[in-house]
Amino acid sequence: MTDTKPLSPREKIAKLRAAFVEQLPARIRHAHVLFERLKIDPEDHAAAVDLHRFLHNLKGTGSSFGFQELGAAVTLGEGLVAKLLDIPARPVPENWEQRLSEYLGRIEKAASEACSLFCGLPGCDNPEFTLPNFSIQSVADCSGRLVYICDDEVLTLENLASQLACFGYETQSFTDTTALLEAVDRRRPDALILDIHFPEGQIAGVEALAEVRRRAGNCDVPAIFLSARSDFAARMAAVQAGGAAYFHKPANVSELVAALDELTHQQQPVPYRILVVDDEPGLASYHSIILQEAGMATYQVTDPSSVLQVLQEFLPDMVLMDMYMPECNGLDLARLIRQVPEHVGLPIIYLSSEPDRKKQFGAMRVGAEGFMTKPVVPCELVATVTILAERMRILRSLMARDSLTGLLNHTTTTHLLQNALATAERAGGSLCLAMMDLDRFKLVNDTHGHLVGDQVLLALSRVLRQRLRSSDIIGRYGGEEFAAILQDITLDRATHLIDELRKDFARVVFHSASGEFSCTFSAGVAGYPAYTSGELLREAADRALYEAKRNGRNCVVPNTTQPGEPSKT
Amino acid sequence: MRILVVDDDPMAGELTGAVLEDIGHEVILAQDGLDAASKLRVDPTIEMVVSDMNMPIMTGIDLFRQLFATGNTLPFILLTGDEPEGLLIQEPRLDACLIKDFSLDETLPTVIANALRARGKA
Repeated sequence: MTDTKPLSPREKIAKLRAAFVEQLPARIRHAHVLFERLKIDPEDHAAAVDLHRFLHNLKGTGSSFGFQELGAAVTLGEGLVAKLLDIPARPVPENWEQRLSEYLGRIEKAASEACSLFCGLPGCDNPEFTLPNFSIQSVADCSGRLVYICDDEVLTLENLASQLACFGYETQSFTDTTALLEAVDRRRPDALILDIHFPEGQIAGVEALAEVRRRAGNCDVPAIFLSARSDFAARMAAVQAGGAAYFHKPANVSELVAALDELTHQQQPVPYRILVVDDEPGLASYHSIILQEAGMATYQVTDPSSVLQVLQEFLPDMVLMDMYMPECNGLDLARLIRQVPEHVGLPIIYLSSEPDRKKQFGAMRVGAEGFMTKPVVPCELVATVTILAERMRILRSLMARDSLTGLLNHTTTTHLLQNALATAERAGGSLCLAMMDLDRFKLVNDTHGHLVGDQVLLALSRVLRQRLRSSDIIGRYGGEEFAAILQDITLDRATHLIDELRKDFARVVFHSASGEFSCTFSAGVAGYPAYTSGELLREAADRALYEAKRNGRNCVVPNTTQPGEPSKT
Repeated sequence: MRILVVDDDPMAGELTGAVLEDIGHEVILAQDGLDAASKLRVDPTIEMVVSDMNMPIMTGIDLFRQLFATGNTLPFILLTGDEPEGLLIQEPRLDACLIKDFSLDETLPTVIANALRARGKA
């Protein structure tokens, strides 16, 4: 409760590392674009300089994040491109195309290895991570996702089914693979959890998955293997059958749920939204089409005076702006945009036929993120825009979200509480704020270590996300304190809802080196219109939370006192 | 201590920033040499600069030299993807030059402590 810092630096590093891996493919595409330019003209100095700096940065950042193999592969490419920089003073290096292509291949391989290594780890799944608009809680309606569990050990089955239910998964259990296959024919699950070894065969689980795949046609059913074996042969068989994850028994349920969440999350990639400002409609359309073909959403503005209004309505991730327009130049327009507080961080790329580096430089000083010379090379435009828009989203979401749990951070939650209150006030609706605090969490950390403590925090965040409605706003308020803003709900109903979550969470079993344990939380709930401001609501919910703690913890207390009335405590 | 972190790669800058925050420093980010220079001009409370070497337009050493020439003598630590020795020879007035690698979270705090000790500040 004392820790109001939104995210710890350690967590932030882990999240940055995940983000870096995520955007590696886009970065490498950019390198290929530059390579293509060099193939056409090895004397294209600008391309060589860009590629060299790009590889150099990739080496530095890659090494900083601990990807040695990637760093080594990039170093080779960097050395070769360094030689291209000296053309025409020095001869073109022998076989440079072939060698560079080979090095880029190695880089790609190292990158994909980094990805697979990294994405297999628990806790780095975070589909919401790159979502642009943090005011929309991006929890898809994931309630009732169906999981089939197949294991010949009844105890494992029962245990898993009850644990998964706490996280909102609907489960069906099977003790043999024949029953599983019949069930798949009747209704296809969202995911499968399978043992490998069954009485009917050493790798009957693997064979069953192959059969499920065959029957499901082209439709992929994500599968997780669960096995007492941890040897190479078993793992390889599982990978070859298309298992998305592999857990050694007894599986850590938090990690298993993390994998399930990732596999069953129907992630709709949200297209980047790009605003194209150009006084020439033809050019604006041309650039728009290039970007649209790359899957982005665009909006064209040919009249600069309408820019502010369009920004409000279109909410772009980035602006692509012509440098010289009759009414005003790009620099002034960028200044004007940046003087509106909401748009201070909006990335702007200038397009211009201006070859003068000094003038380009001037443009950068206003805060533009990039400068491209017309006529643009289509793939280059797409690569540049993609990288900047992607970065913008990652950085925005780093600012808005807690890096460990992916929930909204303190600042954003507070901000959204104000918005929700304003909406409730306008619509004459109601709203509740629940403050939840893990009981004796320090003891968990002290007894089981911080890594296990993090698992507990993650588990609670998963329970909240899975079980609350997508319109509800869920934040990590501090160290072990969480907040939920529930809209259009009475105090009684909200208290009941949070109490259901409390009961479920208390049933989750955690594993650590010092044994199994479970954890509980206490909560206080307060409602609008009884309390009319964010601050008053927060205080009221906190008083109720305090009372819940005093009442012996592991309970939910509504604040039923009226403002101004002396509280019951 | 308030430290200005300069890196044209936001991911790398955030990472360096996170390492510094982890040992209790307050971090301000700048995205290039110019941004850094203008932030230093308006914010006199910044006490140290940690800058990447390889940035477009103005390298880390360029930034250091420009600051030095304008009388700014804050402790300046350079981060690089290459071997740091050559850069230190190139610009011996740097407080330290450090290779970017995965041990940054261990090496950077040590280097900062040493730099401050050398300056008689800690």
